Amino acid sequence: MIEVRDLVKVFDTRGQVVRAVDNVTTRVAKAEVVVVLGPSGSGKSTFLRCLNGLEHFDEGHVAIDGLQLADPKTDINAYRREVGMVFQHFNLFPHMTVLENLCLAQKVVRKRGKAEREAKARALLEKVGIAQKANEYPSRLSGGQQQRVAIARALAMEPKVMLFDEPTSALDPEMVGEVLDVMKTLAQEGMTMVCVTHEMGFAREVADRVLFFDHGKLLEDASPAQFFDTPKDPRAQAFLRQVL
Amino acid sequence: MIKHKKAQWPWHALTALVLVGLAVSLYLATSLMSYEWRWNRVPQYFAYQAEDAQRAASNGTVQDIVITGDTARVSLKGEDGAEQVLDVDSNSLQLSRGDDVAEGDQVGVTRHWAAGPLAWGLWTTLWLSVVSGALGLVIGLFAGLCRLSNNPTLRDLSTVYVELVRGTPLLVQIFIFYFFIGTVLNLSREFAGVAALALFTGAYVAEIVRAGVQSIARGQNEAARSLGLNASQSMRHVILPQAFKRVLPPLAGQFISLVKDTSLVSVIAITELTKSGREAITTSFSTFEIWFCVAGLYLLINLPLSHLASRLERRLAQSD
Repeated sequence: MIEVRDLVKVFDTRGQVVRAVDNVTTRVAKAEVVVVLGPSGSGKSTFLRCLNGLEHFDEGHVAIDGLQLADPKTDINAYRREVGMVFQHFNLFPHMTVLENLCLAQKVVRKRGKAEREAKARALLEKVGIAQKANEYPSRLSGGQQQRVAIARALAMEPKVMLFDEPTSALDPEMVGEVLDVMKTLAQEGMTMVCVTHEMGFAREVADRVLFFDHGKLLEDASPAQFFDTPKDPRAQAFLRQVL
Repeated sequence: MIKHKKAQWPWHALTALVLVGLAVSLYLATSLMSYEWRWNRVPQYFAYQAEDAQRAASNGTVQDIVITGDTARVSLKGEDGAEQVLDVDSNSLQLSRGDDVAEGDQVGVTRHWAAGPLAWGLWTTLWLSVVSGALGLVIGLFAGLCRLSNNPTLRDLSTVYVELVRGTPLLVQIFIFYFFIGTVLNLSREFAGVAALALFTGAYVAEIVRAGVQSIARGQNEAARSLGLNASQSMRHVILPQAFKRVLPPLAGQFISLVKDTSLVSVIAITELTKSGREAITTSFSTFEIWFCVAGLYLLINLPLSHLASRLERRLAQSD
């Protein structure tokens, strides 16, 4: 489903050259759940943002469902339609109600009729468990509720792949569970997912594979059991000692 | 520390006292220099009874006069046999039955209410403000978005425009528009005035728009783009509505400034409120009264404008 080959992203700010993503090659199969782990500044978020073109990469190839991102003939907007993204800070549109948040892209991009897009939105809100908040503004919602709306907003476009960029890092601890539950449901339904997260429990329980990044390099690519019990790379071992 | 709630009204009363004191001392100061206030001369500059003279069309005699209420119907019979019937105000009638009239003689006048110079000036200031404000908003929105564009030419051109306009006085711009561009392109003075005001406002609106758009968190655009919206859809549906809410106060300030700046086009002989005021003074000699009136009329436009802006601001704040 997702193919990444020799991906390189270099940040060059005031003479300081940082290789944020350094020669990464991997692939994600359909319905696979991949969790990306690593210390902060390891380039895992940058890697994720390269997957849907929010970050322009310097070298390499990224393809989702056969569509090449680096190909100038690829319509980036058509590409992004198939890739849902959930952000650390939710990024809901504050001037729109929850329902309008879910309907905007359906209307503008998918050109769905009013009845169809609202039915879709309400069904998704039902699914993430906040149907009764449809007409509230995001500022009236708790962090966990906002993040669930953000997930529903991405799902409304019926993406083939979902990317999660630290979806629970900005949440109060008691709200982490409700968001992870929604993500687990998605995983069970066969959604292809790439999650950058610090939730080790989620990684161990839900992930099919774990990718470990440090200094932009992909150091480990293993099943969760293998990664958590017998990590090969010394930096992965040090990381796990810190977080577990 | 415990917060004590203190009554506010004595302070408001003090404010009123200060203002009344100022007004009284101003009045005393003018009476010291023996200025005679003649407010009764002012109303005629807003509206007055205009008189239209009614004249005989040819030599002849007055055949009949029928007075009903305030109007008199005068029937004239010309030497050539033609009949003429005129309605005039009865108290202005200057003839009686059987009088001879020559061609062009005034039989009487009809009166009707007409707008005075101050009313016309107010109207001119209003339409100048509305037209150049609307144009300025369009120009400013466009130029502001150009300043944020990825295209270097658009960015450079809009920067040059903003810097040129902001760096020169409006008065000079009006002169350039009227005497240089107006002469070259053969523009009317109204066109030159509106164009100068619109371009001037546009430059400031462009900076306001740019600041507003830049103040919206980057994540908003990223979220919109990640849903498949293209750059202009994201701008139109996500960024600009939020930016507009933020820039409403400075935008309202800019339009209030524009209303006041229309007074400058009086230098190219557009008879707006300020020039009307000057003309009213040349015939009334009531300098103080007319200027106070002119100031009051500008307030009459601007106070509702700022009221409108703050109401709009409150309505947009419902999503906070």
